[in-house]
Amino acid sequence: MLLPFLAFALILQAPQTSQRTIAIDEGFAAEAHLKVGDRVAISARPDRSAPAESVIVGAIVRRGADPSEVARGDFVVRMHLDQLQGISGYGDRVDRFAIATRPSADIDRTLQRINHVAFGFRAYRSRDIAVETSRTFQVVSRFHRAIGVITIVASSIFLLCIMILKVEERRRDIAVLRLMGISRSSVVRSIIIEAAVVAVLGSMLGVVIGWVVSLFVNWHYQALYRTPLYFSIITPPIVSLAVSLSLVLGVGAGVLASMRLVRTPPLALFGR
Amino acid sequence: MLAVLGVAVAAAMLLDMVMLATGMRESFRELLLSQGFDIRLAPKGTLPFDTDATIPGVSAITSVLRTNPDIREISPVLGGSIHIPVGALDVSAAVLGIDPTVQGDYEFLSGQDVTTPDAIVANDYLLQKLGARFGDTLDVAAGYDPQTRTYSGQRKLVLTGKVRFIYGATEQPSAAVRRETLEAMGGGARRDRASLFMVRVRKGANPDSVRNWIATEIPNVSAISIATAIAQVDQRLSYFRQLAFILGAVSLFVGFLLVTTLVTVSVNERAGEIAVMRAIGVSRAHVVQQIVVEGLATTFIGALLGLGLGLLTARYLNSILSAFPGLPVAIDFFLFQPRAVWSALGLLIVSGIAAGIYPAWRAASLPIAESLRREAIA
Repeated sequence: MLLPFLAFALILQAPQTSQRTIAIDEGFAAEAHLKVGDRVAISARPDRSAPAESVIVGAIVRRGADPSEVARGDFVVRMHLDQLQGISGYGDRVDRFAIATRPSADIDRTLQRINHVAFGFRAYRSRDIAVETSRTFQVVSRFHRAIGVITIVASSIFLLCIMILKVEERRRDIAVLRLMGISRSSVVRSIIIEAAVVAVLGSMLGVVIGWVVSLFVNWHYQALYRTPLYFSIITPPIVSLAVSLSLVLGVGAGVLASMRLVRTPPLALFGR
Repeated sequence: MLAVLGVAVAAAMLLDMVMLATGMRESFRELLLSQGFDIRLAPKGTLPFDTDATIPGVSAITSVLRTNPDIREISPVLGGSIHIPVGALDVSAAVLGIDPTVQGDYEFLSGQDVTTPDAIVANDYLLQKLGARFGDTLDVAAGYDPQTRTYSGQRKLVLTGKVRFIYGATEQPSAAVRRETLEAMGGGARRDRASLFMVRVRKGANPDSVRNWIATEIPNVSAISIATAIAQVDQRLSYFRQLAFILGAVSLFVGFLLVTTLVTVSVNERAGEIAVMRAIGVSRAHVVQQIVVEGLATTFIGALLGLGLGLLTARYLNSILSAFPGLPVAIDFFLFQPRAVWSALGLLIVSGIAAGIYPAWRAASLPIAESLRREAIA
């Protein structure tokens, strides 16, 4: 475990003659007021019980979009492998090897061959490791899905209520239409068309509001966690789900309310 | 009925979000306070057990701490991992080296505590993996080299008891031995070192003053009080708090909008009836009161239903978040507190009253003659 040692990077004042360089992340540079060319001393331990090595800040880098680093206040220092092995007293060891295969390579066979000759280590597919290490995000995803379902149920009930009330408000208009001789099916059809138009217009407005909120959410959390990750993305499937759901609910409410109203005698709709 | 259901779902969501916003912090605070230790000392710049770093000079630090009369008890803890060969398998587990007379890391369940240097206690999960019973002797190693398949720092320890680790994760096999035993197994590199100190202050003493004193006297450690620890956890989990605030606000607004719409439609439908009431001398204040009470009643019935629904959904959502890797078993994201229920109910009642204001104002300002004439024509 070489990475935890990086947490103990210690800034000292003593200048030395070593010219080796390290790269630090933007957050660390801002927090420690460091700039390219500054000389710092690094050690594996905070208590100065381990030897310190003087290095120069050679680069300040922006961290990649790594979800596992979100919400952690850790800083990252990148240095040459032999340098880190030296200060951590790790010897000729590494935590892992990353292997790039040719596009035509049979990965399963390669894994089998490596594991056949491996002595004290094991080879895995990158995607298997990604699945294993992303348990935190699977939990967050499940939580978001559950919250999403509750929100959809709440909005569906809200939509149904509003649509039914809207049709109910038109009871006198419907009574007049029926007294004028307009057929039940024509009345029902006109109400359904109106409900569908309202549902589509409403959901389109909702998509625009959602898009604006999504921009705000990304702006806020990207600044808060200093990451280029996107926290909210509106995808075509999400838009089609929202529009279809609101259309189905709108039309459903229209059908329910209009069927009830056309079955009621027109004079009763007037309250007589 | 549909409207009451709508308010109930909004109320359930609101209660869940109030529980989420306050639950994590309260649950974490209860966990930290459960054993009565007010301050933790971790290696400089780290949180307890966040890295493999250790604090050197346990004896010297303990001596310095003992000079402060406000410090009542000191519990140094050394963390690490152990390997126990079971047949052809290697069972690995987290281990704590503690002093059983002052430890605050586990609850003792059965058997005997680590009263002797060759004793080891384990949690249920490790006992299951080992298939061992009290009195069994285990070959426990502090290190394992997978390349040469050899163990280092091996020692025979007798399994004496079953414990429950308070800060341990759900599926983490864990054990505890005396600190001197773990130090000896780790060789010279671990001699007189600790991963963490837990400090209990005298009753009536100010933990923050003691923390400041420690920070001055022992500069190579991070002294963390309960308030500091909560602030750090708050920062890491701020996402959930903000999500709770946003979704709670949206639920409240949806509930408010629903009740306003319902009562407004109801007022429109009863415009003639209200005009008659006004014509026979019923005061505006009475009409307003009636409309506001109608909104409040819808909100209240929905809220009562919603509180029950909210508790059910909170339990479900908590079970999802409890699966976070490495999360202590005792941490709840959705913690039931009467204060959360009262807060949610209070917010809903205020929103119910506010929801009735607009339709009540419309009802009170209806032109009586015109409304009656329209009603008569209709």
